Amino acid sequence: MKRELAWQAVLLVLIAGLAWQLLSVTQANLARLGVDSGLGFLWQRAGFEISQKLIPYSADSTIARAFAVALLNTLVLAVAAIVGATLIGTAIGIARLSDNWLVSRLALVYIEIFRNIPSLLQIFFWYFAALRALPRTDSSLALFDSVFLNNRGLFLPSVHAAGGWWWVAAALLLGVAAWRLSRWGRKREQRRLAARWGLLALAGLAGASLLLADLSLQGPQPTRFGFSGGLVLMPEFLSLAVGLSMYNATYIAEIVRSGFVSVPKGQWEAADSLGLPRHLAIRLVLFPQALRAIIPPLSTVYLNLFKGTSLAAAIAYPEVVSVFAGTVNNLVGQPVFIMALTLAVYVFVSLCIALFLNWRNRRLAPSAPP
Amino acid sequence: MIPPRQDAGWRRSCQAWLRDNLFSSPLNILLTMACAGLLAAALIPLLNWLVIDAYWRGDSPQDCPNKHAACWPFVRARFDQFMYGLYPAEERWRVNLGLGLAVLLALPLFLPRFSGKRWLAPALLLIYPLLGAVLFLGGVFGLPYISTGQWGGFFLTVVAAVFVLSTSLPCAALLALGRRSSIPLLRVCCATWIEFWRSAPALVVLFVAIIMFPLFMPQGFETDKLLRALIALTILMSCYMAEAMRGALQAIPQGQYEAAEALGLGYWQRFFFVILPQATPIALPPITSHFINLFKETTVLLIIGLFDLLGMVQRAASDPAWLSLGASATGYAFAAAFFWLFCFSLSRYSAYLERRASRYKKTA
Repeated sequence: MKRELAWQAVLLVLIAGLAWQLLSVTQANLARLGVDSGLGFLWQRAGFEISQKLIPYSADSTIARAFAVALLNTLVLAVAAIVGATLIGTAIGIARLSDNWLVSRLALVYIEIFRNIPSLLQIFFWYFAALRALPRTDSSLALFDSVFLNNRGLFLPSVHAAGGWWWVAAALLLGVAAWRLSRWGRKREQRRLAARWGLLALAGLAGASLLLADLSLQGPQPTRFGFSGGLVLMPEFLSLAVGLSMYNATYIAEIVRSGFVSVPKGQWEAADSLGLPRHLAIRLVLFPQALRAIIPPLSTVYLNLFKGTSLAAAIAYPEVVSVFAGTVNNLVGQPVFIMALTLAVYVFVSLCIALFLNWRNRRLAPSAPP
Repeated sequence: MIPPRQDAGWRRSCQAWLRDNLFSSPLNILLTMACAGLLAAALIPLLNWLVIDAYWRGDSPQDCPNKHAACWPFVRARFDQFMYGLYPAEERWRVNLGLGLAVLLALPLFLPRFSGKRWLAPALLLIYPLLGAVLFLGGVFGLPYISTGQWGGFFLTVVAAVFVLSTSLPCAALLALGRRSSIPLLRVCCATWIEFWRSAPALVVLFVAIIMFPLFMPQGFETDKLLRALIALTILMSCYMAEAMRGALQAIPQGQYEAAEALGLGYWQRFFFVILPQATPIALPPITSHFINLFKETTVLLIIGLFDLLGMVQRAASDPAWLSLGASATGYAFAAAFFWLFCFSLSRYSAYLERRASRYKKTA
């Protein structure tokens, strides 16, 4: 016990000494280079444009706002790639389990090809080769005259809320409340009446707020120099989303496959002997147990995918690393705080994803060992 | 000659296989048809582009008039750059010799029956980096000095991957032991360090190393850009490897620790003679898969201006003389095939190690 205490004291002194040394050297270096380290630069005028912005931004905005724009771009890309990877990965993973030889072999070939090629190379392929090979704006590929694909990106119709987005948010909230209420009401006879009236009222309110929001679709209109209106997905975004989805889907496919394989065969047979039809057996017996094996490794893949969005810096998609560690650092030259902020973004989001999935996992496994 | 009766049996079993595996139900027939269609739709244009319409002869841009077909002359003209980067042509024998020597020396490590692994691996780890530095960098023994700025291509990819592997393994072992130590403060420090770096992307860590490292060092202490990048990758990789090792340490039954302690062995004796030999086969498969990831991750070096294989392809494709879709796409196809070959064979090897480790666990 005493020895441990002594070791800890030695360690503490070592760490403190190292930290002090690093700090003093860094400060001396910063003073020599004339860098006044502080977060003041965040409120300077940015002076550069960002090609994709989800919130209003112009060159006159502050650097802090540029940071917010970049952060939103990172998050949008991460969400798109996570959804894409999960969909593709689940499909491929289930295809791997198919008793059709051709289907399972094709899925295996997909996994082995896309897993063993670096994701940056795949992104480059999509960006520099595949999307460049698309037709120009004047002869873009069109689907139903409302979706257009050309070498400038993917043009989709966008949803427009004339009455304001607040009404849509209200409708969503009311909808969620109605869903919770219907679940609450399912349990007991006495609750059922109250739940039914509540449900009716909530659904009515949700419908009313949707009406107030006055939603409409606005398709991209062809003009002389491209398209106006609608939603534009830049080629950078498209190639990153496709590349990251297809690369990470291979990992998800393997996780999904081994998750389903891990459910003991007896569970199937038990469900069968209970007389459960196949789809119910999958939904009620197989799926919940497979999910328990799937979620922990899945969280690792999601984390890796989120970290992978930093590769966007290679093709100048304006996300945190390219805007902050690239443009802003060249502009104001405050490496310490800029790097710390960039690292903090990743550490924080990784922590959030890990905590969320841990929480889901605990809910899924009621009798998890400590 | 095959007798006809056997032939009929073979045909029948073939039919049975087709029926069972491809056409067992209406849904399966539909799926088979759809997959065959998909395969044809993907493979025929690919083959057309890659082989049939492609240009194979020559090594100048004039040899690929059609921009919408693969252009192999591009790969032929730039092949040396893809392999060696900007390493001077007359000194490339040093790269060949160094990498050949590495393969030759490391070969016994992959033989299952070779018993000297225990001393060969540490000896290689200690001696080879010196040998490699002398050969690749030069500046001594009459070898001309070649700066790391001229390193590149596949050579750089291999050097980075092997360097980071050999430096991160010892660091990872220390971190893993620290995270399982009985000293609480050490445990917390190691855990924080590991979790922090594991949540940061490789690219950001590289930026930190390139931009911040000079700030942390006393004035006049200059380090090479490549070395800084490799240190960053080492820090990152050692955290991943440490987690793999920790998993292996946890997989060893508690009784082994207690038995070693009961024999009166000290901490390091326990580690080297009891724990390490048992943990190694369990830790090897995840370490190999981390190495595959590292191999793929080295492509990130091109973003900070160090041209690995993909970086050289990218650089060659942006050469105005070769500026065409056919050339750049062929370059990517070549790089992809190269990476794929390496990563795929490594992953097969990892699968083999895993099978062996599971057998080991069963017999133990």
